[in-house]
Parts: sequence; C-alpha cells; structure tokens
Amino acid sequence: MTDITDRIDSTDRKGPDGAVAPNAAAARPVERSLDTRLPSIVTAASPGTVIALAVVLAAMLFAVPEVLGSFWLQVTFSAVVYSAVALGLGLLVGRAGMFSLCQVPLLAAGAWISLRIAALVDLPFPLLLLVTGLLTGLLGAVIGIPAIRLSGLYLALITLMAAGAITLLLKVFKFPNGGGGFWGFDKTVSSGAVALDRPSWVPSDVSFFRYTVVVVALLFLLVGWHIKGKPGRAWASIRQSQVTAVAAGVDTTLYKLWAFALSAFVTGVAGALLAAGPGGVSVNQFPVEQSIVLLAVVLMGGVYNIWGALVAGFLLRVLPQLLDQKLGLDPEILTILFGIGVMQVLLTAPGGIVGDLTKLGKKIVGLFTRRSSTPSTPSTPSTPAPTDTAAAA
Amino acid sequence: MPDLAPYLVIGLALGGVYAMSGVALVVLFRTTGVLNLSYGAVGALGALVAWTLIDRGWNQWVAYGVSILLGGVLTLAYGWVLGPPLADRDPLVKASASLGFALVLLGFMQWQWTADVRSLDLPTDDSQYVKGWLRINWTQAIGIIFPIVVVVGTVIFLNRSKLGTAMRALADNRENTALLGVPVRRVEAAAWFISGLLFGFAGLMLASLVSMEIAALTFSLPIAALAAALIGRVASLTTTLIAAFVIGIVQSELNAFQSLVDYRNTTPFVFAIVVLLWFGWRRKTEGRVA
Repeated sequence: MTDITDRIDSTDRKGPDGAVAPNAAAARPVERSLDTRLPSIVTAASPGTVIALAVVLAAMLFAVPEVLGSFWLQVTFSAVVYSAVALGLGLLVGRAGMFSLCQVPLLAAGAWISLRIAALVDLPFPLLLLVTGLLTGLLGAVIGIPAIRLSGLYLALITLMAAGAITLLLKVFKFPNGGGGFWGFDKTVSSGAVALDRPSWVPSDVSFFRYTVVVVALLFLLVGWHIKGKPGRAWASIRQSQVTAVAAGVDTTLYKLWAFALSAFVTGVAGALLAAGPGGVSVNQFPVEQSIVLLAVVLMGGVYNIWGALVAGFLLRVLPQLLDQKLGLDPEILTILFGIGVMQVLLTAPGGIVGDLTKLGKKIVGLFTRRSSTPSTPSTPSTPAPTDTAAAA
Repeated sequence: MPDLAPYLVIGLALGGVYAMSGVALVVLFRTTGVLNLSYGAVGALGALVAWTLIDRGWNQWVAYGVSILLGGVLTLAYGWVLGPPLADRDPLVKASASLGFALVLLGFMQWQWTADVRSLDLPTDDSQYVKGWLRINWTQAIGIIFPIVVVVGTVIFLNRSKLGTAMRALADNRENTALLGVPVRRVEAAAWFISGLLFGFAGLMLASLVSMEIAALTFSLPIAALAAALIGRVASLTTTLIAAFVIGIVQSELNAFQSLVDYRNTTPFVFAIVVLLWFGWRRKTEGRVA
C-alpha cells in the first residue's frame, strides 16, 4: 500500500517541473495521454517563488559585491550573463521543444553588434542594449527560419552548421576595434580583447555588476511574462504535438520564429553586457564546442524551470573557477562531468538538477505529511503525467 | 584563372577522409537509428593515443593499429551501454546523448593532453609520386582510394552477406527484425564496432593531413563528414561519397583564390545548410522529420 502511494507521489503528482519531454508520449503510444498542465511558471509563481526570486535578486545586488573580491566578482558577473544565455536556450528547448546549438555564436554576434553600433552612433546604454537585442533577435529569427519546415534532429543540426559558419566568420572579421568600413576592424591595433564603453554613471566593475544583475532580472521577467502568456501556451502546444497545435489554430510559423527571436534577443543583450564587462570580449572566447557545453549545462540545470538557467550559469562559469582556484583540480574534468551529466539527464531525469531537487523536496515533504494522515486511495491521481523516466526504463 | 591543380590532390584526400566517416555515420544511423556525433572525438582520441605511443617508442604500425582499434572499442562500448536504453527515444535525444559522450572524450583529451603543438607523421607521408603537376604521397593516395573501397565493400556487404541483410532489415523495422529471430543487439554491436574502426581510421588520417589541435579535430574538422552524410539524407552511401569528395575539393580549391581563402573552412557548413533547407522546403507535410 505504501509502495503504491509512494509511486503516485513521486511520479503522478510530479508538480510543475516535471513537464513531459515531447518524445516520451510518442515512444510508448499505449501510455500516451494529454498533458493539460500549464507551463511551470504559472503554477510555480506562488508567493514562495516570488519571495525566493526577490531574495536571490537582493543577495546579488547587495551582498555579493560586498563579500566577493574583484576576481570572484568577475566570475559571478560572467555567471549572471551566461544565465541569461542559458535562459534563452532553455526557452527554446524546454518551452518550444527546439534544440539550438547556435546560442554561443549568437552571444558573440550580440557583442559584435553592440560594439559596432557604439562605434557608429552615440546611444544611451539602455537603448544600445535594446537595439543590440532587437538586431540579434532578427538574426536569431533568420537562423530559426528552417524551423518552419524542419524540426527535431535536423533543426538541431542546421543550427550546429550555422554555429560553425558564424564562428569561422567571426575569426575572419574579428570584433570591431575602431576601424573603418562595415566590419570596423583595424588590423594595425594589436590588442586581442575589445571592450564596450559603459554608461558613465556605472564606471566601476562593482556598479556595472549591479547594473547587469538588474538587466538580467528584467530579461528573466520578460521571458517569464512570455511563458505565462499566450506565446507560452502556443509553444507548449507546439512542443507536445505540432499537428495538434495547427489544428487548434496556433500559428506555428509565427510562434516558432518568435521563440527563436526572443531567445536571440535575450542572448544578444547578454552579449552586449559581456562586451562591456570586465576584460571585454575576444574572438577565442566563443568556440563551437562551447555551444555544445552550453546545451549540456542547460539540460543539466533543467529546462522546464526558470531556476535551471541560474544553475546552468553557475555550472558553466563559477564551478570551473571553484575547482581550479579552491580545489586545485583541472577544470577540464568538468567537461567530462558535463558529458556524463547530459547523458544522465537524457536517460533518466528530464527535469535536470532543479527537477531532481524539487522531486526530492516533495518526497521529503510527502514523508512527513503522510505520517500524520491516512493514505488516500490511489484511484484518482491528480494529473495524468507520463514520465520520461518510465519511457526510458 | 589561378592554378587549381596543386590543391586537387589534397582536396580529394580530404574528401576521402570525410567520405569514410560519412559512410560510417550512414551505416550506423540506418542500423541503430543513432546519428553518432561523437565520431570526431573518437577519431581525435585515437590520433592522440597513437602520437603518445609513438612518442614512447612503440612501433608505429602497432600504434596505428591500437588507435584504430580503440576507435572501434570506444564506439562499441558507447553503443552497448547507451544504445538499448535510448532505443525507443527520439533521434534528437540519441544524437544529444552522443554529444554528451563527445564531451566526455573532449574533456579527457584536454585534461590529459595539453594544447601543445603536435604533428602526426604517417610513414606514408614521405614517399611521393611526382609527374608533371601531379604530386601525391601515399597518405593522400590511401585517403582517396580507401573510402571508395569502403563504400563498394559496404554496398556488397549489405547486399550479399547475412549480417548485412540483417542490418538492412534493422534499418527498416527493428521490432519485425527482432521477431524474425535476428539477434538485434549483436547486429547493432557489429555496426557500432565497424563504424568505430572507420571513425578511428578517419581521425588518424585527418590528424596527419590537417592538424592535431584537439578541439578542431573533435568538432570543426569532422563536421564536413556529417554534412556529407546529411547531403546523402543519411541514407545513400553513393551520394554521401560524392558529396564528401565535392566538399573536400571545393574546400581545398578555395585556397587558390586569394579573396576567398579565409572562408574555405565554411564550405561544409554552407553545403549542409543549403541542402538541409532544400530538403526541408520541398517537404509537403509539416512537422514530420525528414
């Protein structure tokens, strides 16, 4: 009896994070059932979540710059920026069900566009961020055009090819460093890294870190708002079944391109922030394999939950430095762990680390609550939710 | 018109190496349903192991044998462990999992072999045949001829042998093949192992022909093989072979044009994007994967 209720608790009442991967139902037609739940942010935006987000934001704004030295602040800065990149990819993978391997080149493109615009016209910084985001969004929509007709593996491969091409072109054109012409690259300037001018009222690394945290928080809100609204529902229906989405009157072309554009917008703004951050940007910062590592950490963090993006940013930027500086281990070991991690996520835990932790938390809570009350009859599970775990076993 | 002749041989050799990986990718995909994206990493690791063994004074032929065998064993191990649990899943999930394996290998390589400059001199590099404009060494000759032999051999093998027939059956319908009494896992294991040997061989050749830089050897260089396989719609061996040669030749011939030389490495990507779009656009039904 306890066994049965246990299973009900851990699988059927999985909660908002265990959104079902699109292939799970297809793999076992017998277990196919409609996932009627709304995207997780809707159900997850409880007062608790809002408070947690506010606490994280406050800690980032006030505690972190006080506690950390300049090196760790720089590391945290890049983690914050990359969490926005992870957010963009998580949106594509988790919401719309489209894998993109072109996010890191888009990040580079965002940095490039912001540098080029800043050299041409004198825009206020927030406006520069906005224009950069919009132009990168346009580029993202162009890369997403194949998504109108292709999906799944072939779409992922085409983005991988686009990533390879953009990365190679970036190596040829390099970041604009004050030269003339369209590309704005001056061969006579020898410095490898280029930095964007910060707004005059946040000149120091600390103040710009705070500025970045606010901008990234706004990006999270923007994405959360999209997920909560009509686009989020459209993406969810495309992810579950494109045919059904078309039948239900969802304009799949529009919403697929929208997902790519929004994801690229977020990534482009992150690129501009990165260009203005400590150290600026250089060409070798954006290798192709970084896109693959990014996909791995985003999957590991969890794509069905907005917290997963923060975990991904931490895994990608902070953890290597922690290993290197504090434990004296080679950060390359992490690439091995990310590889194992992504295989594990794909095999057994589609919710990623955040999903696992949520499940664990629910289990613990469940243990305590069940002791006080008698187990209810398992005949009416709250939501029919075939788990990916079941399909993989 | 610039002189194209000097770049033809190296282009053909490059194309041949791409073809080898491409053909192995197609056979593996048809048999197991896995688009194995870890083939570059497997080849890179094999090349590095060969380099290290030779550096430690091993007989170089033994070292090459070990590295090719390593490719087969690694690929087989991956397929044996992760093939069955992922068998029912979406092709995208299978491919992503193989990217995970590639990351494991990449991390291991970057950890164990630092980013020194290395080069792998195959014994076949030295003996050259020169006649007029033609200048070809044995490595290049092997790179050109061997893949053609592989393709012809594979076609005969798939059509004539019992194992080949079983592989074709698996490509058509896994469940039915299993019902007919074909030992599915053993046939799949054979496909993993054989394709792994080819990946190892291609990695060795690529390391010798182009570069031994770890990241390049893992992802950016072998991607041309994937492009060729995609042009062949991951189904046609002949198309894959021809596409690989065309990509290799174009990539190499662009060296002759001063204004285009910087863009030559984008060739495989451009080819693949154009072809994928072409196939995608001609499809009438929406939402189904090619």
